[in-house]
Amino acid sequence: MTTALERLNQFTDWFIPEDIACDRENRKQARMFLYSHIFGPFIGNTVPLALYLFDPTPGYDIAVLAASITAFWIYPFVLRAFGGYKVLAVISVQNLIFSILWSCYFHGGVTSPTLPWVLTIPLLAFFYVGPSPKMRTIVLSQFLLSLITFYFLYRNSPNDVGGISLGATQALGLVSTTAASLYVTMMALFYANALASQVELEGEMREHQITAAELRQATEDAQNAGAAKSDFLAKMSHELRTPLNAVIGYSEILLEDAVDENDANSVADLRKIHSAGHYLLKLVNEVLDLSKIEAGKMELFVEAADCGALLRKVASSFEDAARERGNRIVVELAEPLGTLFTDAAKLSQALSQILDNAIKFSSQGVVTLAASCGEAGQGRELTIQVRDTGQGIGKEKFANLFEQFSVVGDTSETKYGGTGLGLALAKKLCNLLRGEIDVASEIGVGSCFTIRIPMNAKDQPPAAPDATDVEAELAKAEAGIGQLQAVAKASKPAVSRDAPKLRKGGAANA
Amino acid sequence: MRKILLVEDNEANRDMLTRRLARQGFEVCCAIDGPMGVEMARRERPDVILMDVALGDMDGWEATQLIKASSATAHIPVIALTAHALSSDRQKSFEIGCADFDTKPIDLPRLLGKINACLASKAA
Repeated sequence: MTTALERLNQFTDWFIPEDIACDRENRKQARMFLYSHIFGPFIGNTVPLALYLFDPTPGYDIAVLAASITAFWIYPFVLRAFGGYKVLAVISVQNLIFSILWSCYFHGGVTSPTLPWVLTIPLLAFFYVGPSPKMRTIVLSQFLLSLITFYFLYRNSPNDVGGISLGATQALGLVSTTAASLYVTMMALFYANALASQVELEGEMREHQITAAELRQATEDAQNAGAAKSDFLAKMSHELRTPLNAVIGYSEILLEDAVDENDANSVADLRKIHSAGHYLLKLVNEVLDLSKIEAGKMELFVEAADCGALLRKVASSFEDAARERGNRIVVELAEPLGTLFTDAAKLSQALSQILDNAIKFSSQGVVTLAASCGEAGQGRELTIQVRDTGQGIGKEKFANLFEQFSVVGDTSETKYGGTGLGLALAKKLCNLLRGEIDVASEIGVGSCFTIRIPMNAKDQPPAAPDATDVEAELAKAEAGIGQLQAVAKASKPAVSRDAPKLRKGGAANA
Repeated sequence: MRKILLVEDNEANRDMLTRRLARQGFEVCCAIDGPMGVEMARRERPDVILMDVALGDMDGWEATQLIKASSATAHIPVIALTAHALSSDRQKSFEIGCADFDTKPIDLPRLLGKINACLASKAA
């Protein structure tokens, strides 16, 4: 039944113009209109056919009746071509009144066997026009005016009109009443189905509400879990750093002593402990930062910073490290770069990760830090490039390069001491600042990392963490439910028994 | 000799930093919690206070606020030390009147630079 109805709906929907189809209630009325216009003439034409068969002297009136009934088939095409549903509905109602009263006029007047069809007039009229009081008044007036006109016309008509034999009247009455009943039954069935789908809609709405509540709960749980994770991280951060501080600090004290005493063996060993401690601390910091960003707990402090000064400061902090590996740092700034509104500390951190890598993977080479600014889609954008003359990265590695624990190769990890977190962290930091990071590289020639970030993060607040996206989606979904409720409430007072409960639920969730 | 008050609850960190600062020619006195830090600031009148913010019941922020609230100790520069390199910590430390902020683990040359900057600005 449902699939048959659906197929029927597909058929009728072909006639419905876009502006009507987009509104659920209007579409329902239009469907009702199309049903009666498509199937009506099949049933309705049985009456002129019966008249033609039973009337010993069939006249032009039967042809007019058949034509006026068949004319209903034109309406769907007019609707599709020109729209104007309301006007069409009024004309169609008038057409129906004409057809019925015309056959009554010629075949029996107020005792006509086709009189039961009069009942279909208000039924169809109200189906077509829906709940609008203005439209209801119009079609009701049409109906009454037509009846009155008919009455006067009939009273003043010549006596020979409408004369058919008693036997023919009975047969015609049978056909006509059966056809009218069939027609009304069809429309009633359709209406019942429409009602059922309304109830289904409300059920769906309730389901959506439950889903929304569950989603909200899940979001809350996730946020709580995020908060717990961040708490845990803060505690772990303290717990891990305290012993590390001792390792680093005491090894430094001993190192100072050993240097003073010229104890070369101890100096070498203590340097190893010291650098291992620093490496571990760096790893801990990177893991903590990544987790913080993932938990949406990384705070941003947007402030004004001079681009040139910021970049030169980061570059100068790497001079010693570069010299150790025989590298030279070249700074190429297309000044004046102007002022940057962003979290300068996070940008420095991201850039440091890239520079650190560039220096680590080059030896006796040149690491170039270049920057320029220009117009981008939503304002000015700072482009920072870090180019090195290192070993390069194979193209097949590009896709995973910014993933956590991805290093250029298993062997290079041990050789260069990469944690595999640096680039992932750099990318996450850049994204946090609404920027992006990209790589180009050629084996044996070198790599070029490009960071692009908006120069005014104030105008574009940094990307919200995922939880907020869920919130926004949820708000949208709930607004949608609100609309569904409004539709259900407006279109069907008959099932309003449940409405107060629904509204209450909606308010609690809103 | 310049006197430094170190408020730090972790024994290893306290011992380590005390020894390293002493080598640099500072006189170092220590407090192991917030209330003791406030008390020693009043009694010892140090030139600089190094305040760990993650202390026990009374944290370093509260202790600093008490030190800054008392006219006898308000002029002593406080350098906040925290394990978290959070911008919010840095902001908070300046808001409550710290002269500077540093993160652990201590990078001694960097901390010495900050201590000397505080002493210089105090002298000026």
